Amino acid sequence: MKKKICLILALLIGIGAMSACSDGGKKGGSDGTAASDGAESDSSKQSNTRELFAMDTYMTITAYGEKYEQALDEAEKEIKRLDDVFSVGKSGSEVSKLNKERSGEVSEDMASVLETAIWLYENTKGAYDFTLYGLMDLWGFTGDAQAVPKDEDIKKVLESCGFGKSIYLYGRLTLRKGQGIDFGGIVKGYASSRVMDIFKKYGIKSGVVSLGGNVQCLGHKEDGSRWRCGIINPDDPDNTSDLMGVVSVSDKAVITSGGYERYFTEKGKKYHHIMNPQTGYPAQSGLKSVTIVSDNGTLADGLSTACYVMGFDNSVEFWKKNKSQFQMILIDDDNKMYVTDGLKGFFSSDKKYTYIQG
Amino acid sequence: MDKKKMWTKGIKRDILLLVFLFLTGAVIFIAVIFGSVRGNFVKVNVDGRLIAIYPLSENKTVEINGAGGTNTLVIENGESYIRDADCPDRLCVSQGKISRRGQSVICLPHKVVVEITDENGNASVSAESDADIVVR
Repeated sequence: MKKKICLILALLIGIGAMSACSDGGKKGGSDGTAASDGAESDSSKQSNTRELFAMDTYMTITAYGEKYEQALDEAEKEIKRLDDVFSVGKSGSEVSKLNKERSGEVSEDMASVLETAIWLYENTKGAYDFTLYGLMDLWGFTGDAQAVPKDEDIKKVLESCGFGKSIYLYGRLTLRKGQGIDFGGIVKGYASSRVMDIFKKYGIKSGVVSLGGNVQCLGHKEDGSRWRCGIINPDDPDNTSDLMGVVSVSDKAVITSGGYERYFTEKGKKYHHIMNPQTGYPAQSGLKSVTIVSDNGTLADGLSTACYVMGFDNSVEFWKKNKSQFQMILIDDDNKMYVTDGLKGFFSSDKKYTYIQG
Repeated sequence: MDKKKMWTKGIKRDILLLVFLFLTGAVIFIAVIFGSVRGNFVKVNVDGRLIAIYPLSENKTVEINGAGGTNTLVIENGESYIRDADCPDRLCVSQGKISRRGQSVICLPHKVVVEITDENGNASVSAESDADIVVR
């Protein structure tokens, strides 16, 4: 009799231990069924993060707050709408129409972007220029097939490039013959700013977006601490465990430009997508990457490109004049890292870096 | 006397069996717990929707039905990569192998994102770099 009780007990414990194991196994998703289980439970839970593809890149949008679902829905819609306005690839976009018809009234969105774009063009002496569509097209960066163009073709295309040759008056933009506009270097920053506006509208207190690595955040994290934005290593951009450093921010855009983002190789030489409007060739300013930290996403996006083209000295000079508007992190070709002193207390790194004094 | 001896022998066997079962259970339990905490997983998303999560420790080849084409995902010796794809730029194939949490391979034309995550599908890079989000 007692023997039987013992056996039953033993069996019970055995079953108990086994069921505990199978629970663990399921959690790990160790087989096909568990994986699809995970998928179902995830979609019913409604994640605070939305992933989407737009503006030729991969984006994530995260919002915390009561109305996060509505905020995410509207943010996604807004990004797709802006893509339809500013895309150079979509024939029906406002940009494509302007490039075709060369003159037209601009929409409210384009007027907003133009305001920052023109300010940048004028104050960076043309280092940021949104009229380089022809040049980008010549190099093949508007499509999939890139090649180094003939020098004479570059010279010819440059003749029609430069915002100085177009007219923007009373809300009407008129382009020179052969000239084309491309807001690729600024529109993701504008889009992330618009998402912040939508977040605020829905009472979101904490949120962050990454539009293809362009980051902008609202408020603090849910736990009250700042958003920790890791700056990618330009020498190893696929490695997220060897970052250049971390900037801790709230209510800021953090946007990086670098030659590692998009490039092709011809005859052993790398050609990246950030053009020097003066030469018509990829910018070789001695900088490997430029990170801008600013309240203004549109400015941060355009400025990261401009500073990458301008190089160290001109960027520092520009910062000294405008440091109420932004801070920056520069990495030069010798892998030296420079951080403007407005980021003191907000930047940390296990690598060596020098503060730039204002 | 004989009967009593047999009886105690029986008890001893039962206790042995109990201990054996308990130890086996405990060993498997610990192995699973540790395995799921330490192990990385491969998360596959298509157009923002979660398709599957596979353990990085199990070799596997999967055809992913992306938006407008397929990508062949390979999990091999603790690494994952896209071996083949019928997308126009094939950048996903040239992005190489990933194995560390937070790393990803993205196929823009097919809207496919392959990411190394923990067992819950979190790709947070904080474990290694202490950052919430990566700027590039």
